[in-house]
Amino acid sequence: MTTDMNNSLYELPTESPRFVGQQVRRIEDPALVSGSVEFIDNVTLPGMLHAAILRCPHPHARIVSIDTTAARQLPGVVAVLTGEDVKRWCNPVVTAPEGWGAYCLAVDKARFVGEPVMAIAATDRYIAEDACELVEVEYEVLPAVPDAPAAIAADSPLLFENQNSNVMLQRVYDWGEVEPLFERADHIVRETFRWNRVGANPMETFGCISQWNLADNSLTCRGSYQTPSFMVLGRSASLNLPSNKVRIIAHPHGGSFGGKGGPRGTDISALLSRKAGGRPVKYIEDRAEYLLAGGGQSWDRYYEAALAVMADGTVTGLKVKLLDDQGAGAEGYGTISVAKPLAAFTGPYRIQAAQYDLTVVATNRAPTFAYRGYGPPPHNLVLETLMDSAARELGIDSAEIRRRNYIQPEQFPYTIPSGNEYDSGNYPEVLARALQMADYEALRAQQQTARDEGRYLGIGVVSTVEPGVFDWNAYRTAGVQGVGVPEGARVNFDMLGQVTVTVGFALEGQGQYTVAAQVVADYFGLEMDAVRVVCASSDAAPPHFGPGGSRVGVALTGAVLGACHKIAEKFRRVGAVLLQCEPDDLELAGGAVRMRERPEAQLGLADLAGTMLARSDLLPPDMDPHPGATHVWTPPGRTEPDEQGRCKSYLTAANATHVVLVEVDPDTGVTEILKYVIVDDCGTRLNPANVEGQVQGGVAQGVGAALLEQYVYTEDGQPLVSTFADYLMPTLHEVPITQKGAVVTPSPFTPLGAKGCGEGSIHITPAAVICAINDALQPLGVKVRETPASPSRIWNLIREAGT
Amino acid sequence: MTTRHQISVTVNGVNYQREVDARLTLADFVRHDLSLGGTHVGCEHGVCGACTILVNGASMRSCLMLAVQADGAELTTVEGLSRNGELHPVQQAFIDRHGLQCGFCTPGFLISTAELLQGNPNPSDDEIADALGGHLCRCTGYQSILESVQLAAQMMREGTIVDAASPAEA
Ligand code: FES
Ligand code: FES
Repeated sequence: MTTDMNNSLYELPTESPRFVGQQVRRIEDPALVSGSVEFIDNVTLPGMLHAAILRCPHPHARIVSIDTTAARQLPGVVAVLTGEDVKRWCNPVVTAPEGWGAYCLAVDKARFVGEPVMAIAATDRYIAEDACELVEVEYEVLPAVPDAPAAIAADSPLLFENQNSNVMLQRVYDWGEVEPLFERADHIVRETFRWNRVGANPMETFGCISQWNLADNSLTCRGSYQTPSFMVLGRSASLNLPSNKVRIIAHPHGGSFGGKGGPRGTDISALLSRKAGGRPVKYIEDRAEYLLAGGGQSWDRYYEAALAVMADGTVTGLKVKLLDDQGAGAEGYGTISVAKPLAAFTGPYRIQAAQYDLTVVATNRAPTFAYRGYGPPPHNLVLETLMDSAARELGIDSAEIRRRNYIQPEQFPYTIPSGNEYDSGNYPEVLARALQMADYEALRAQQQTARDEGRYLGIGVVSTVEPGVFDWNAYRTAGVQGVGVPEGARVNFDMLGQVTVTVGFALEGQGQYTVAAQVVADYFGLEMDAVRVVCASSDAAPPHFGPGGSRVGVALTGAVLGACHKIAEKFRRVGAVLLQCEPDDLELAGGAVRMRERPEAQLGLADLAGTMLARSDLLPPDMDPHPGATHVWTPPGRTEPDEQGRCKSYLTAANATHVVLVEVDPDTGVTEILKYVIVDDCGTRLNPANVEGQVQGGVAQGVGAALLEQYVYTEDGQPLVSTFADYLMPTLHEVPITQKGAVVTPSPFTPLGAKGCGEGSIHITPAAVICAINDALQPLGVKVRETPASPSRIWNLIREAGT
Repeated sequence: MTTRHQISVTVNGVNYQREVDARLTLADFVRHDLSLGGTHVGCEHGVCGACTILVNGASMRSCLMLAVQADGAELTTVEGLSRNGELHPVQQAFIDRHGLQCGFCTPGFLISTAELLQGNPNPSDDEIADALGGHLCRCTGYQSILESVQLAAQMMREGTIVDAASPAEA
């Protein structure tokens, strides 16, 4: 495996790993299936109170007065928090771009339905909610900005009075000579799209227990935190605390997908604890709160896009114009999702030049947050639909037009117009495998037969590049600073030779602790269940970011391998003393340090660790006697963005092709997925079962976005979604059982050659399904240009077309 | 504001006598009053299935029941599936087939699967989908859950637990 990091630091000292690359069972699972994992709502602390939050019922309203008298008198109520307290003690949250953040409770005015207005801590949650009902709030309703087009209208009300418009960000990126390419094009294909809001909806909502220590003015928060270090910085800024006085203890959580939320709930419970004399305060968001105002809304977009195509099907240029609705401010870092597409703007294709015309606005909808994929799913729907439109216009098969435009295997590493570098891949091979597995020609024949019978079958063949291992530099467009995202791991042997790996992030489902155990077990020749993996609190953990942007499998592997390597060096030094040779005469193999020339002369790892900790008299005088090490890994070779946002950002580029067959019933508008084939290439598969789980889970979320899910708002900005009866999550009935295949092109840039693989499926499944639906609807002369392609939407399209 | 009632329930074979508010949900009672935290709450309005437990042998959504309605009942929660420290075949099968990721939905799936296989040792895919189609999982995309249920059925029919110690063939 070649590597430009070029050192054995990132290799295993074994030719035949027993665990890495194998479909091993996850070390996380026995506790999870037994119901003994400490999810945050299972935790009770002595003296703990429970918070409930009163939320604004209007999209935009000035708060005239709040009367909490009756609530305070309810037995069991201990603390009451309003905007007045918050204004005195806090700052609005830091945002990117700057200046679009709110306080944790509405101060003076509220900007969306569900915005917290006041909060109560009581001896139990039932009482806290009773007390909220006794609070009287007088509102002066303000004119609302219900959607993005309204936000840029000339007479639009202002969301943030510190800004002079509702536009958070507006600029045009030009990468290469786009206009001349469009002038020279034989065909220009244009489309418009509306992508409606969807979001993460992990099965566990956000929860935390905050405790303000009044003696030293420090804060400890336990909770379902995806990114503890980020939470520390945010709380420090919003609560005016030194960052070393904020301690986050992340608990295992029930999924996250970027959209767990948490800053407001944490700040509110922290301040309630402060007001309650330092008693711990638990806040568990309920599902209605999550759906209305939690971290679960993302990607609210209007697109106009065009593709320049030559007569032979060569695609030369891409223009994308995006109007993006962030909702009531940038507190959820949803802005980053307009920046991420830069990392794979032109997908797997050799498109020479591109333009991105970007307008990001604030409205009176709930603030948007990260969601798995973080922006590319709608972008890829646009790109892939344009590819299909071009194919149709030129009379080329939809698989063939993609094949003709792929970046070729020998062109890697390949720099795309928007600046990112793809590490490696074999796109034609992935497509070929997918078409073969799907028996593509037979599918086309089946489609034709069905058409002859008056049935509407459609086929989607779409390809994607999934940028993996995110870097902050990818998000400069949104105002984010920084290059590099460090991830650390500490690997310690104890005196008896038992190993503990300490990381800074909690379990949330992707099986990363298993990956750490696989790597350590193979490195030191141990059994996997001899390796314990634990999460330290933010103040005790090595530098970390945790999961996000399909990074942690790769980053954690790098961190763990680096730490193992440092320990192996120490073991060789100790071994050299005990075996009376030079460290270079020794190697680590099969769970022992042994002489290269005389393998029977060996020392077990427990002996070495025990010697280091209990026989200092035997050690070299300058030796650090710790049989452990910390290593902090960061992606190599990342660069500062230029004025057009171009940089080496995401480290890896995984690739996939999805082939899907659907049938649309024109009488009901219902889409049924009949066949779904996926071939993906995410380099070395550290644990193939984990990869398949990520792929299939992403398909489910993608099918949800394509067919079912939508945060519906009325024309006046009122949300209509507050239960799972309104927000339709896909079930076993809707998610297709998929056939999966793999091509393996290792990354030359990562530890063990693995690529980020957590988001590829959601990147492309919506496009695959919608392209298939449009292929089915072609004889009817209609086309879906808005998600989700719900039965009513399709039925209306068909009716309007009068066919 | 709410009346209190004395109730007696048997959970996983242990009898509990408690005084509870009339409005206390069965889910909150089991989780917080009895400290059996394996039953999870994902929606509190009866859609997600995470809170599913067996009430007198039949699966129920404990978020939609009040604790007082369970007076006199026998309940089984996920903590009651394993016997003498041995995992129930359904639990083992979910581990073997990677039928979970975050594991938050899992107790509900395990309970409904145990109920299904009790009455139908050899369910078809459609029967599995009917039994579990009312449970939400946001992580797995269900395919591995379906395979886990098939494996559990096989293990229970054959009375075997596939060797749990060999990781390479999971
Ligand atoms: S919590 Fe009971 S069904 Fe969701
Ligand atoms: S495993 Fe996470 S919700 Fe099912």
